[in-house]
Amino acid sequence: MAEQGGKGPVDTSHLYDGKVVRSSAPSRKKAAGTLKADSGIPDDAVPEVSIPNWIDAIFGGPVLVNREFVSPNRMVLNLQMGAIGSLLVLGFLTFMLTPVSGTAWFALTNMFGIGFLGLWLHLLLILVGLISGFWGVWQRDQRAMLLSYVALILVTIRFAGSKVEFGLSFLPENEVIQKLLLILYAVFLVVYMEISSAVIRFSMLDTSIRTGEVYVMNVKGITDRYNRALGYTPAVAAVVATLTLFINFFVPLFVRILDPVAANRLEESVELTSVYGVALGTILVFIVIASMFAINLPLRIQEYLEKRA
Amino acid sequence: MAWSRKSAMFASLSVAMYLLGLVLRNQQLVTVAVVLLSFLTWAALRTSHGDVASSGRRVEEAVMDEGVQLQSIVAMRKTSSSRVFEDGEIDVTLRIQNRSSMAKVLELRDRVPEVMRIKKGANYVLMEIGPKRETEISYTIETPLRGFYTIGPVCIRVQDELGLFHNEKEVQLYDDFLVFPKMEDIKDAMIKSRVPKIFTGAVNIRNPGEGSNFYNLREYLPGDPMRKINWNATARQDGKMMVNEFERDAVSDVIILVDSRSVSETGPVSRNSLVYSTRAAASLTQHFLSRRDSVGLVVYGDEIVSVDRDTGKKQLYVILTKLAGAMAKGNTPLKIVTTRIMPHIHRGSPIIILSPLEDDPTIVDAVRDLRSRNFEVTVLSPSSLEFEFDARRIDRTGYEVLKTERDILMTELRGLGAYVMDWEPDMLLFTALAGARGF
Repeated sequence: MAEQGGKGPVDTSHLYDGKVVRSSAPSRKKAAGTLKADSGIPDDAVPEVSIPNWIDAIFGGPVLVNREFVSPNRMVLNLQMGAIGSLLVLGFLTFMLTPVSGTAWFALTNMFGIGFLGLWLHLLLILVGLISGFWGVWQRDQRAMLLSYVALILVTIRFAGSKVEFGLSFLPENEVIQKLLLILYAVFLVVYMEISSAVIRFSMLDTSIRTGEVYVMNVKGITDRYNRALGYTPAVAAVVATLTLFINFFVPLFVRILDPVAANRLEESVELTSVYGVALGTILVFIVIASMFAINLPLRIQEYLEKRA
Repeated sequence: MAWSRKSAMFASLSVAMYLLGLVLRNQQLVTVAVVLLSFLTWAALRTSHGDVASSGRRVEEAVMDEGVQLQSIVAMRKTSSSRVFEDGEIDVTLRIQNRSSMAKVLELRDRVPEVMRIKKGANYVLMEIGPKRETEISYTIETPLRGFYTIGPVCIRVQDELGLFHNEKEVQLYDDFLVFPKMEDIKDAMIKSRVPKIFTGAVNIRNPGEGSNFYNLREYLPGDPMRKINWNATARQDGKMMVNEFERDAVSDVIILVDSRSVSETGPVSRNSLVYSTRAAASLTQHFLSRRDSVGLVVYGDEIVSVDRDTGKKQLYVILTKLAGAMAKGNTPLKIVTTRIMPHIHRGSPIIILSPLEDDPTIVDAVRDLRSRNFEVTVLSPSSLEFEFDARRIDRTGYEVLKTERDILMTELRGLGAYVMDWEPDMLLFTALAGARGF
């Protein structure tokens, strides 16, 4: 049989019922016809390299990941409504509990005789916190949410003295109610931060489900668990905070068993009712919690529950 | 227990606020910090609660037949097949049992090899599994590339409801499977030995000279059996008796050499010389074995791996397994391979070389040696140049220069009497073989 010496088309008619099939690759010919004469490296041959900026380098990755979400489902919509509701209450509590006096901007503007500007700045910060919060929650934009957190925390930073002070004069003078209001404010701040971040978290989950990246079995069970956790976790946090803030009430209660006079002194102690009393309460409460962890109490409770069942 | 970014942010924020609150004597800041810390602590407590389930202590590291058992979570996997061809599918069923009396929210990922594609279902599942319940996850994977693969481990994560802390554990449950190279149906490879074998080993020769394939017509000679007379042709030849002649059925030793040197993997993962060579070798093996020839295989890369000649279906799977495991490594020259195998094969046996013909200065010498000993050499050369050029990894000038060098080498090999085919990426194996044989 004669050998096909050259590279011309080979007659393969006997192989394909009379149809001639070219032996040279069509792709090569096509490429030869379309490629330009330059010998530069084609764009798609160079892999994309993302160089982290200094913020990414510090945090070990992007602080905020921009991600496209699918339209919100019912769960996300409920969370958005919840976040906006908690933000409204938080905005009111912040305005109510946070006076402009003692803030850096008030001190600065007052020094130049334009104290009203400090007040405006103060209100502006609260407004920025509210508006960016609304925008961030509704648009599911993490940057706006972060701005909202920063603004709402920044507005509380002031030199305040040990006593609780309020921004509105008509608020109660009673110490217990004042402290309870403070706890309510703190709980709402934490709840707002939690729900707004949950908007992003559940949007990501929903997007992953709908794009087929992850399959979720019993979605309702999982969301119900979250909703329950959202109910009791802030409640537990509020109870712990109450224990620490009312240390001037609880410590004398125990001391009274041993020495009633010392207990009376403790009750009237200015230090114990001040911020340092709160610090002492925090230490005491968290020593108890740390001991629970040290003896591995959660694990033991779990084992007990498993055995009992 | 691992911290999420959110919990890390909450913790650092609360510590900062706490300290700042003390410095500024701001009870508001301290209160927020205390609430935040309590929030975190409670979540951590809850996650430790789930710890037993997820990261759980294994029961004496016991590995049971059907899977690996954790204290309360048991994972068992079943695959539809452990041997599959390229572009095939494997159905995987993962059964998860929660043997504890508490419901758990599990995030579960069954790790599949990177090159595999999930065709149906999902290997990444988030689920709430009730106490003393079990559930099944099913998915189908596509196997686009040959090789030895493993499914597993099963990664399980338990997270607290608020996404602050999590525990992770890998369940060491593995299932191995083998992906054979894809085979193309070759109706007639048109490669026949000039020297019929006398000793065929397991398969007997059927009537030498009396084959089943029609060859031509000739005049009747005394002694020809009557059944060979072609009466139609006799009638057309005005009474001159014509008989049918048949090809002789012969069983040959076919030796297939597969080049698996590092250079053979030049090009994209799924389109390179080694991928094409292994597919061609598998197809040829199947073809020759179905023709009852005996087939031997030599894969050379960093070492020379050979499968001795044999016939039958078992031999097909032995060769397919070797081909599935062929790795692009080393740079053993062809000359060393041919020198080593030549004393062990019958002269005149067809030798099929599957090689990109690159980076080996001994190719011409090796083919010359084989030809001088009357071996029938066929070279099928999947061109890595084409793969590279199609993927736009080399420019046109470079391609033209390398192509010219390659053409010169092929012309030289053809001059030695070898059948050589420049096998381009889009060409069917059957067409390439036909081209090599000059049909």
